[in-house]
Amino acid sequence: MRTATRRRLAAAAASIAALAALVVLLFPLYAVVVASFETNSQLFGASQYSFFPSVWTLSNYTTVLSQQGSHVLSSLIIGAGTTAATLAIALPAAHALARYRFRATALLVGSLLVAQILPSIVIANSLFLIYHQLGLLNSYLGLIIADASYAIPFGILVLRAFMLGLPGDVIAAARVDGASEWQAFCRVVLPMSRSAIITVALFAFLNGWGDFIFALTLLNGNTFEPVTLSIYTYLGEFSQNWGEAMALAVFAVLPAAMLLIAAQRYIAAGLTVGSVKG
Amino acid sequence: MSVVAGSARRAARRPAGPAAAPRHRSRLRRAARWAFLLPAGGYVLFAFAIPIAYNLVLSFEQTSPATISHLTAPFAGLSNYTATLTNPVADSAIVRTFSFTAASLLFQFLIGFALALLFNLRFPLRRFARSLILVPWLLPLLVTGTMFKFLFQLQGGAVNQILIDLHLIRQPIGYELSPGWAYVTVLITNIWIGVPFFTVLLYSALQDVPAELLEAARIDGAGPWQRLTRVTLPVIRPVIEVVFILGFVFTVKVFDVVIGLTQGGPANSTQLIATWAYNLTFQDFDFGAGAALNTVLLLIALFAAPLYIWLNRQTLRGESP
Repeated sequence: MRTATRRRLAAAAASIAALAALVVLLFPLYAVVVASFETNSQLFGASQYSFFPSVWTLSNYTTVLSQQGSHVLSSLIIGAGTTAATLAIALPAAHALARYRFRATALLVGSLLVAQILPSIVIANSLFLIYHQLGLLNSYLGLIIADASYAIPFGILVLRAFMLGLPGDVIAAARVDGASEWQAFCRVVLPMSRSAIITVALFAFLNGWGDFIFALTLLNGNTFEPVTLSIYTYLGEFSQNWGEAMALAVFAVLPAAMLLIAAQRYIAAGLTVGSVKG
Repeated sequence: MSVVAGSARRAARRPAGPAAAPRHRSRLRRAARWAFLLPAGGYVLFAFAIPIAYNLVLSFEQTSPATISHLTAPFAGLSNYTATLTNPVADSAIVRTFSFTAASLLFQFLIGFALALLFNLRFPLRRFARSLILVPWLLPLLVTGTMFKFLFQLQGGAVNQILIDLHLIRQPIGYELSPGWAYVTVLITNIWIGVPFFTVLLYSALQDVPAELLEAARIDGAGPWQRLTRVTLPVIRPVIEVVFILGFVFTVKVFDVVIGLTQGGPANSTQLIATWAYNLTFQDFDFGAGAALNTVLLLIALFAAPLYIWLNRQTLRGESP
């Protein structure tokens, strides 16, 4: 009886502590969402910050939608392109590295681990000059190739780790039945790897969507601009237009929020598998 | 690739027997296997190997805005390195990158481990809280930087308001104007971003600590603190090592957060290696100097590579995790 009460008390205390931690951790997001419904005079006219405004307005969103809609579209294209490029390149490579014994396997996997470590600014610096020669600056293709540099090594390592766990005899059986390596890969390996593919696709999309460093260095803003770059240039031009900037920020965090609700399991899996075992 | 795969398919359909040319077939099969790796190989070459090699070349060249349209520039010896590394801004950016990384990792670990221990207890909101805590990790880094810039505003900023309401300060603080405070705001923002990562990985490690082990320690009379330091910490040590190495790799290259928050200012007081290299290259158009500083950043990041590979040695050998 007494231990049961004590346990219940401990659970209540833990719940309160967790709630407090969540309030502190998520307050910045709350503040951004609230600010996106406020006018600039509300935000900076009053000398005080108000935690819950009395007047709410949609004007920031109407402005942002009319002026920034194309940037949201650009971010979607970049996110989708990064996902497609990552899967197209990572899936066959992961399959080969999991199924065949190359003499160079350890070397290849090791170089992917090193690729994960390389700082993007080093790559951006060189890519700018290389793209300048190839005419890839200010192009979706060039930006997507650069943005995939986060997701491709990650994708190969995560998918390979998953494929190593697939039953080898199922693939062997398909081969005996006359399927080619490519057919066995498409019809047997890919369907069985579904959950790992979803994890990698999600991370590739979020990487492409959230990239800033390559957009900043490889685009000049005259052709197209993703949301991240547009928030940055927007605040540079209208440094006090916070309401609209925050509405744009809400758009920028929307995919992450939606994916977290819809596919939480895969995101948590990517975080643990990708880092500890990848 | 489809051509190679097609010939492999034909080779596979041919009945196996002494009549078939085994040498020819095995060579085809080997080619088909390499074909799966071809796109990834090409990508690694184009997006990693060539840029890294080219960066090294650039760092030894006398570049100028006029040489941007050529791939090569006159040889400059070590002058980019000496000029960049004797510049006080670059020197303090290098030192700051180390102090920033150390402070970030320390606080991320302390907060993340405390939260992991909390989530390891049984309570009703556990699953809900654990999923929400991931949010900061998933946001675009530039957006996070911008968000905190908004929170730390001098006029009408939420942080100043909270501190005034708690009677901790009387006058709002100008975080953006003071070098010390600007550094602290970047640090707090970066800690906020990394806490979910530490929490999730340490939590999953705690889940794997055998309950019998903790129970046995309890029966032997070990208190909660002793169970934590003598049982839990030694068991999860491999994961702690991984988290610190990955955290180091993430943090030494921090860029978006600084640009979003302070752009390296005021008076270069929040410049890190990556942001200063960006300034040299894309603001001053001194690609050689930027490349020299990038090489320094690369060497610092690669310092973690042997450790990272060693921690992944099982993966390297092709064992299923």
